[in-house]
Amino acid sequence: MTPFLEIAGLSRHFGSFVAVRDVNLEIRKGEFMTFLGPSGSGKSTTLYALAGLDTPTSGNIRIEGKSILDVPPHRRNIGMVFQRYTLFPHLTVAENVGFPLSVRRRPAAEIAAKVGRMLELVRLQDFAQRKPGQLSGGQQQRVALARALVYEPPVLLMDEPLAALDKKLREEIQCEIRRIHRETGVTILYVTHDQEEALRLSDRIAVFSKGVIDQIGTGAELYENPATRFVAEFIGDSDFLPCDVLAVRDGLASIGLSGGLAVDGVPLHGNPAAGKAELMLRPERISLSRAMPASGPALPAVIGDLTFLGSHLQVAAATLDGRALSVRLPFGHEVVGSLARGDEVWLSFRPADACAFCSAQGGS
Amino acid sequence: MLLHWDKLGWWRWVLLAVTILTAVFLLLPILFIAALSFGSSQWLIFPPPSWTLRWYDELFADPSWLDAAWTSFKIAVVVALLSVLIGTLAAFGLVRGRFRGREALKAFFLTPMILPVVVLAVALYAFYLRVGLDGTVTGFVLAHLVVALPFSILSIGTALEGFDKSIEDAAVLCGATPLEAVLRVTLPAIASGLFSAAIFSFLASWDEVVLAIFMASPSLQTLPVKIWGTLRQDLTPVVAAVSTLLIALTLVLMLLVSLARRFAKSS
Repeated sequence: MTPFLEIAGLSRHFGSFVAVRDVNLEIRKGEFMTFLGPSGSGKSTTLYALAGLDTPTSGNIRIEGKSILDVPPHRRNIGMVFQRYTLFPHLTVAENVGFPLSVRRRPAAEIAAKVGRMLELVRLQDFAQRKPGQLSGGQQQRVALARALVYEPPVLLMDEPLAALDKKLREEIQCEIRRIHRETGVTILYVTHDQEEALRLSDRIAVFSKGVIDQIGTGAELYENPATRFVAEFIGDSDFLPCDVLAVRDGLASIGLSGGLAVDGVPLHGNPAAGKAELMLRPERISLSRAMPASGPALPAVIGDLTFLGSHLQVAAATLDGRALSVRLPFGHEVVGSLARGDEVWLSFRPADACAFCSAQGGS
Repeated sequence: MLLHWDKLGWWRWVLLAVTILTAVFLLLPILFIAALSFGSSQWLIFPPPSWTLRWYDELFADPSWLDAAWTSFKIAVVVALLSVLIGTLAAFGLVRGRFRGREALKAFFLTPMILPVVVLAVALYAFYLRVGLDGTVTGFVLAHLVVALPFSILSIGTALEGFDKSIEDAAVLCGATPLEAVLRVTLPAIASGLFSAAIFSFLASWDEVVLAIFMASPSLQTLPVKIWGTLRQDLTPVVAAVSTLLIALTLVLMLLVSLARRFAKSS
């Protein structure tokens, strides 16, 4: 079966700079897909190619099997919400939302009815006669969302639509976007650099780094099983310890840490030829005890800073060779009350919870 | 702010005096002319011995003044329309275009502002004699268009630079053709820039005298040419009355421009 939306071998060069390199992606109908990555990672360029505002150097984009690259942007029938406020300043909110129908020469009665329904969807019925200049940033983006959905496009593109808003408002509108996605069933491609936003909204996330997609998966997959060190750093919190790869079998490695500790059964990513790797540990997956645990790998460490964060205690510890490791202890953990700066403790973890990434140049 | 009014001490009085002197220096000739136009003296004696509207009566009774004013108005309106049309196209090219020599082209379009008008006038006159445009309305319009265009390009270009292209992109993605997006979204959004371009172009033509003297013929002359000619033949307070009306018109137009800007900002 052909996928609903397919990006195949998409590349975009600006002179000698490669903004997007061989991006391949398949998106299901009704899916909420997020492009997550830092600025300059190629996520927006990919979105602009979909919108038709930018022409890719090579590759193809197909919707229901048909290439859209030859279709001019105004005939693609794709909705888009921009990062910047793009409401038409001289038109009222209702005229803005009705604009796509008006250029499609729909009868006035139909336009009025659909505009009313859309304003209801974004909960701005009472603002129909206002001008954009009289709205707050959050309201303007909701009107832009209504304008992008009023002609029922099969695909909605959103390019960091909430980046200019403050945190509280952002979370409020994230909820609205989720509800609108549920109610309309529209396929959404969403660009953001905010991992929390990506996790909150998406069915699946494509993590962009330096013009390529490092990994595609659900938030949980990216968190549990990061394919690259970049993904591990970008999704969730993580610390890295340098280690040697001693042996590899079935994708699981035996590694040696400084201080002579050897750990078996660590998932390994990348080419172990160089023999050097970095071990990723998540702060919430490390156990802390005063005595050396009877079994399992454990590292001796010294407590640095202790930060109380309500539901949990953030512990900044250092290994004996001075590497920083964060540990997150749930409030009420047996040692929380007595822990103090300078205490010597043991940090243990399950090999399956850790992950090793081979260093490309051998060593960090 | 580094230089705050309250922190200036006695310097503020110096500043105030300089400001008042400058304003007086700029305004006095205008007030002087206005006063003379209502004065009864045939010889423009100041202060006027008594007040009268006689010169305004004479002005409106003389069809040659009205003819000249009508000619000026016709030419200025056509110049304003063409200047906005061409200026809009040029501004789009200069602001949106990404091509080699864009900066040079921008500078080239503004040269009529720097070039001595009399040089332009002599060159155009020589050219017009050859192609038979001298003494025609078309010749007038073309000559004034040269000096009016830089105003349009500057004012529309500035408005266009301040307009976020993403808004036009949004209109295109909404289904508008690129032309429709410009006509229905971009142009209305920069309407105040188009309006001031029209007013400035109108004024550039309306009170232009150097080119007009070269282009004029006995049967076709603009108001500034008529004033110039009258002044050379006989000094009459009618000229002061014309000047006062011209100043009043200019004031009204400038007021309209600033109102349009304020309206654009508030909406």
